[in-house]
Amino acid sequence: MSDATESGCTVFIVDDDEPMRDSLALLLGLLGYRAASFASAEAFLAAYQDNWTGCVVADLKLPGKSGIELQAELRAGGSQLPFVIITAHGGVTSARAAFHADAVDFLEKPFDEADLRTAIEKGLAKELGRVQRAAADREEALKLEKLTHREREVLDLAGKGLHAKEIARALGISPRTVEVHKASVMNKLGARNVAELVRFAMAADKCS
Amino acid sequence: MMADFPAMGARRSLAVDARDALLFGACYLALDWASNIYPLGPFNVTPWNPPPALSIVWMLLGGLRYAPVVFAATLAGDLLFRDAPGGLQISIITSLILAAGYTGIAAVLRLRFQFDGRLRDTRQLWIFVAATAVGAAIIGIFYVGALSAAGFGFRDSFIAVVFRFWLGDTVGILVTAPLLMVAADPEGRRHLMRSWRKPETVLQFATLLGLILFMFQGGAKPQQYFYLLFLPLIWIASRNGLSGAVAASGIVQIGVVLGVQIGSLQALAIVELQVLVTALTLTGLALGIIVDERERALEDLKRTLRLAAASEMAGAIAHEINQPLSAMHNYGSACQIMLRRGKDAVSHSELSSTLDKMLQESKRAAEVVRRLQDLFRRGTIQLEPVKVAILLERANAIGQELNLSGDVNFRVDSNDSARTLLADRVQIELVLRNLIANAFEAVAGMPPGQKEVTVLTRMLKGGRIMFRVADTGEGMSPLVQQRLFEPLSTSKATGMGIGLAISRTIADAHGGALTLSGQRHGQFDLVLPTEADDE
Repeated sequence: MSDATESGCTVFIVDDDEPMRDSLALLLGLLGYRAASFASAEAFLAAYQDNWTGCVVADLKLPGKSGIELQAELRAGGSQLPFVIITAHGGVTSARAAFHADAVDFLEKPFDEADLRTAIEKGLAKELGRVQRAAADREEALKLEKLTHREREVLDLAGKGLHAKEIARALGISPRTVEVHKASVMNKLGARNVAELVRFAMAADKCS
Repeated sequence: MMADFPAMGARRSLAVDARDALLFGACYLALDWASNIYPLGPFNVTPWNPPPALSIVWMLLGGLRYAPVVFAATLAGDLLFRDAPGGLQISIITSLILAAGYTGIAAVLRLRFQFDGRLRDTRQLWIFVAATAVGAAIIGIFYVGALSAAGFGFRDSFIAVVFRFWLGDTVGILVTAPLLMVAADPEGRRHLMRSWRKPETVLQFATLLGLILFMFQGGAKPQQYFYLLFLPLIWIASRNGLSGAVAASGIVQIGVVLGVQIGSLQALAIVELQVLVTALTLTGLALGIIVDERERALEDLKRTLRLAAASEMAGAIAHEINQPLSAMHNYGSACQIMLRRGKDAVSHSELSSTLDKMLQESKRAAEVVRRLQDLFRRGTIQLEPVKVAILLERANAIGQELNLSGDVNFRVDSNDSARTLLADRVQIELVLRNLIANAFEAVAGMPPGQKEVTVLTRMLKGGRIMFRVADTGEGMSPLVQQRLFEPLSTSKATGMGIGLAISRTIADAHGGALTLSGQRHGQFDLVLPTEADDE
């Protein structure tokens, strides 16, 4: 239904209560989300793949690892999956713990469909932004990979604001060769002007 | 129509006022007559002067508007029992001073310190004592001063006369006013009546009377044995609280007055005796109030404990009930969405199965509610077959949850998972949680590598199962062990220490037991009956 779902996002339900899982999955399905259910944090971790995108709706109190611990473990492993923490045992302490663990929302059971949706949408928006950013980064990385070693050197120096002559002096080649390399770099990266080239150079600097 | 009511009310309250005023007057005069002993000089400065107590308590209970009645009663007493030695004019002036003074004491207590005629705590007692002592001193200065100014001379110095006046008034008020307050308070009366039914109280007061008699047998110097009276007084006050203490000091005062009358003592001996009575009274009042306070604190504590147990239980049950409620909520929302999509889009069977699930969940919720009702109505537990495996799983979950840092070696070990016990799952989980949490706390201070918490089970004869929660902590001192299961005894610096008391109550209610089995380390055994062991 949403952009996020179309781009492959799933809502992962982690709750030990079977009817809770079942009803949530049904409801989310009807709301147009793709949903997957897990009875525990351990079950989720066992199945988890790095390329999963979406939003986790996890119960705070689970047998074994809690929802917050699950989140902490995923974060430690580098996953940025957004979390919505739900609990039947609301309280300031648990809500605070959830927010400290950077959950997008904290819902007390029973919650309204609208609240759940808002929370999930918030999570998915975050996720979508991350996915798109990651895709863009990947694209740039791919483009950068096409550069030769010399071209990469020219790009780096151009990114520092050096002119062709200065680059030539730094690399010990003629300014004319520098111009050729620069044209080639711009062509490979699809940069239309020097400003864009500089932006690429800075992104490349960040990657390396 | 409506306007008539206030007028009627006013008339009626006027009648009540008049009746109360007459009653007060009669009591005042009776007390004044009875206490008119050993007046010093021509101006009736008596060693014991209780009528002011009546005036003050009356105004504390009934309001300051009784001030004119107090004045009238004081004047009447002066005219009737002392024949107004200074003439009517002087009597009016002195009565005015006295009435104004007692009204002043009552006003300070009522308006400044919100007294309602009951002594509840030590702070109130000391305020009352201070107001009385200061008030009586001021009244004494004005009273004796007015008489001196009118040209009446005294045998003793001005200060000595003021002191005698002050002593008589202070003792009279301190002894009589608390007695009147207790008598006027229905709860105080009940308390006093109840304590009279105990043989111990009778023995206490018999001892007191015996000692008073003994004291006055001594001849001209009864005060030398006075200290003996402190013993029964302390006994009475510590057992019966304020109401017993005021009754005892009242009896001592009456005994002293009668003894003085019969033994015809020297005025000086009487002053000495009155100072002793004051000390005795203050001791009794202070002790009695402290005893009352302690009793009230204990009552509060018991109530708090009950509340804490109920709230712990309620928290667990709220969790239980929120699960089916939220599932129902979700199923309901799902049905709504299906229906909103229109007739054709709805699969009849899907809708029907969702509704079925909703009904199922409502049953689950109702089940929890029923258990909750049972719990509060009969204080009983809902026994149901519970697999040991489920409890162990919970125990494991609890341990994992508590083992946040992961540095505790936590194990759940059992060969009895397949067994079934008859238990209230929620309550047994509470007990296990409590024991496991205690164990984790016990090992928290141990060096790394020595932190172990183990939950294991063992079958006992008679088809009973034992859950043992053991830790490698330092165990408990014999003193702590002795009081371990008492509410509020705790070896932890923080926490209320109600957990084990509640846990044991729960175990007992299951026909089981909870005991401390380890000596060197913490080790608790929860023994529960399993389901009919007839296979």
